Amino acid sequence: MLRAAFTTKPTEGGRRWRRLFLLLGGVVLLYGLLAPLTSLDALQSAGFPLLADKLWFRIATATAMFVVLASAWNLVGGLTGYAAFGNVAFFGIGAYTCGMLISRAHWPLFLALPLAPLASAAFAALVGVPLLRLRGHYFAVASLGVGVAVGEVIQNVEYRGTPVFGGSTGLFLPIFSVDNRDLVFYFLMVGAAALTIGVTWLVLRSRFGYGLIAIRENEEAAAVMGVNTTAYKVAAFALAAALTGLAGGIFAQWNVFINQENVFPIEYNVQMILMALVGGAGTLFGPLAGAVFLYMLIQFLSGSLPVSLDLPFLPSDARPVLAQVILGLLLLVTVIFVPRGVIDFFGGQSRLSLAYLRRSLRETSV
Amino acid sequence: MAAAQLELRQVTKRFGGVAALDGVSFSVPPGQIFGIIGPNGAGKTTLLNCISGVYRLDGGDVLWQGASIAGRAPHRVAALGIGRTFQVVKPFASMTVRENAAVGALFGSAEAHLPPRQAFERADEVLELVGLAGKAALPVTALTIPDRKRLEVARAVATRPRLLLLDEVMAGLNPVEVDEALEMVRAVHATGVTIVLIEHVMRVIVGVCDRALVLHYGRVLAEGEPRTVLKDRRVIEAYLGERYARQQGG
Amino acid sequence: MVNFLQLLVLGLLAGGVYVGVGVGFGLVWGVLNIVNLAHGALVMVGGYLTWTLFTRLGLDPFLSLPLDALLLFTIGYLLQRGVINRVIRAPLLFTFLLTFGVNLVVINLLLLLFKSDFRSVTPSYAGAGLELGVLVIPFTRLGALVVALLLAAGLAFVLNRTRTGLAIQAVGADRDAAQLVGIDLRHTYALTFALGAACAGVAGGLITLIQAITPTAGEPYTLQAFVVVILGGLGRVTATVAGGLLFGLIEVFGQSIPGSGSVYANAIAFGLLVLVLILRPQGLMGRLR
Repeated sequence: MLRAAFTTKPTEGGRRWRRLFLLLGGVVLLYGLLAPLTSLDALQSAGFPLLADKLWFRIATATAMFVVLASAWNLVGGLTGYAAFGNVAFFGIGAYTCGMLISRAHWPLFLALPLAPLASAAFAALVGVPLLRLRGHYFAVASLGVGVAVGEVIQNVEYRGTPVFGGSTGLFLPIFSVDNRDLVFYFLMVGAAALTIGVTWLVLRSRFGYGLIAIRENEEAAAVMGVNTTAYKVAAFALAAALTGLAGGIFAQWNVFINQENVFPIEYNVQMILMALVGGAGTLFGPLAGAVFLYMLIQFLSGSLPVSLDLPFLPSDARPVLAQVILGLLLLVTVIFVPRGVIDFFGGQSRLSLAYLRRSLRETSV
Repeated sequence: MAAAQLELRQVTKRFGGVAALDGVSFSVPPGQIFGIIGPNGAGKTTLLNCISGVYRLDGGDVLWQGASIAGRAPHRVAALGIGRTFQVVKPFASMTVRENAAVGALFGSAEAHLPPRQAFERADEVLELVGLAGKAALPVTALTIPDRKRLEVARAVATRPRLLLLDEVMAGLNPVEVDEALEMVRAVHATGVTIVLIEHVMRVIVGVCDRALVLHYGRVLAEGEPRTVLKDRRVIEAYLGERYARQQGG
Repeated sequence: MVNFLQLLVLGLLAGGVYVGVGVGFGLVWGVLNIVNLAHGALVMVGGYLTWTLFTRLGLDPFLSLPLDALLLFTIGYLLQRGVINRVIRAPLLFTFLLTFGVNLVVINLLLLLFKSDFRSVTPSYAGAGLELGVLVIPFTRLGALVVALLLAAGLAFVLNRTRTGLAIQAVGADRDAAQLVGIDLRHTYALTFALGAACAGVAGGLITLIQAITPTAGEPYTLQAFVVVILGGLGRVTATVAGGLLFGLIEVFGQSIPGSGSVYANAIAFGLLVLVLILRPQGLMGRLR
């Protein structure tokens, strides 16, 4: 449905772009993976305008986290075509699973971590059965409701007067004591991102993936072809939940402190979708590209990066708010003009041109 | 007479208070081409939806090789070896022609379920059979309407059905295209597939069908050898009279 | 028994706001097939206008309601005509995201303008109420319920008795056929959204009488409006009224269960939503679309 908005043939120019894009992507990826090993000391002393060490790790780890979220959403929203708006629930459940096991049951991290995706997937399978019977708006809003409701329940549920999951104070995890802690979490999160992309790659090549895309394109035809649509949809939902939950579990130990606000933020729901969409929903690398681009943009706009733009007439505390306004406008522009994501331009499918923008406008407006 | 492969017993389906199908019974022996005709709104497509599991029955039973399959989900009906096409084509729009056919081979009847590599080989064979081999790499959106109907058939054949339900695959085609489509149906039949064919075009029914059934307001009006059925006085009066006479003349 | 009566009255009063929020949301959804995630944000725009007029000019909140409607009507018309019409034929994910983008922009502009402080409107009669035996019915809530019902009645009148209303219904029933009989699609869409937004504006004005507002206070109302519309059934104003009142009752009675408190408002709304969708997808009074 998303990819089929209209069809274009690969162009010569598009192929050139694609080569450039792949090269550029490769360099960035290589840099991203290797830079932390050098601690950037050499580059910093050479006077490069680079980020301070701690900040670099934080941003790079968070970027990888959003790659996981966007790519995992892509399995449901991009491939299966179900507009899931509540994936943050899986992130939170993963985080709280890890958090409870580590802080209350005193499990070691690497024993607790595998249970985070399991818990999220189990929950997704459970709610997925009734939820995925709904279509269109109904599914979208119902899944949004799951995201909101789960956070609310986890914060408020009490047993004999004491909050079960730490209540509104949240959960504090013991600090994971190891040398190079930043590096460990960085590679854990990058590993999760690589796993998510790898899983997507496998899915796209498998019977499962073709079944999902068939469901997206025409659910009735898919069923008649022999696709067990309910099982496939729930499986995709649970798979996405598992990966999202894994990111949540890593986040819990990385951030040391979790509460409703930092592991069930509603805005993550939309950010991950926007990332997938900007990059190109339904594609392998689209969500990755979108996540990297958009996360950097959000950080830049809210002034969290050392490189920033100073607006003279704006008080500094208004920056994060303004960032949200710009994000909203970006959302509008993307949805209206670039419905299939920028990956199209780099993937050799079409060229960014006025004609392209005009056509995408005409395709959907009255 | 051979045992029936597909048998319908008093199949009834209502929408609101209206009975779209009202006690329809017939049986199709293996290897036949069985035609179903009737005016618009006679319940032909509803009938296919009842067989393929898209609709639940309000009464009666559908038997496949003697066992009831009523109430089974569509994918389980497909797994038995019952393939179908849609009157309003429903291609997987973002895929190529070849990928569309491959989905049929990846899933479909229990005998299909091929791993991806073999599924694509099977897709190529099927596209050859329906005459789309030259267009395998195209996106479906680039196909003409007749070609989309062929693809609809190709996708269904790729599921390795033992029974194929074809829903007006020739409606809207010109005479030359109808001839090509007829050839395609014969070619598919020659691979050993039983066919139930819903059609508007009389020439098709008379041309390829072993048996024909006339559906009118959800009821069976007549059933038998195509030429006999079409000469049945009730059929001519109720439905065919004017139209058939015109066709005979023109 | 008195307790039950009190809850019943409180529930109906609470339902007034949900009716106000629900009718505009239901109109836009039913006709344009858009689930407007910015609805709650538009509600708050109305709320802030009422608050501004009250604190700056001392205007009575009930008197500012027509101005809320007018402002939101204008904003709604421009929004639909300029932005949402551009994606109206796109897959639903896109209209969904688009309205979320509008939501983000509106809320954060409100944050820039008004900060995130709680703002409340307290007219002289804020504490007063109608005493019926042991029951006390606050005037503001009673007024809000009456206005909400009048709003719904007015909307129903416009939709069923005026040329514009019939055009809107025609577009909702069949876009292509409506175009064939000479209805200007872009204008009618914009009018529909404008009407929906105007209802949101009035609802926002009413909400200031009942709670303190912040720019983000409208967000829960979006999900609740969705539930209200589903509860009643999509496509009819009367159904939304029933859904809104019922939702108020369910909320009040739900919160009276000891232990649960008001913390599960969203969870209750959501649970109800899924239940209705599965058991009776056409709503209590609706027809299946």
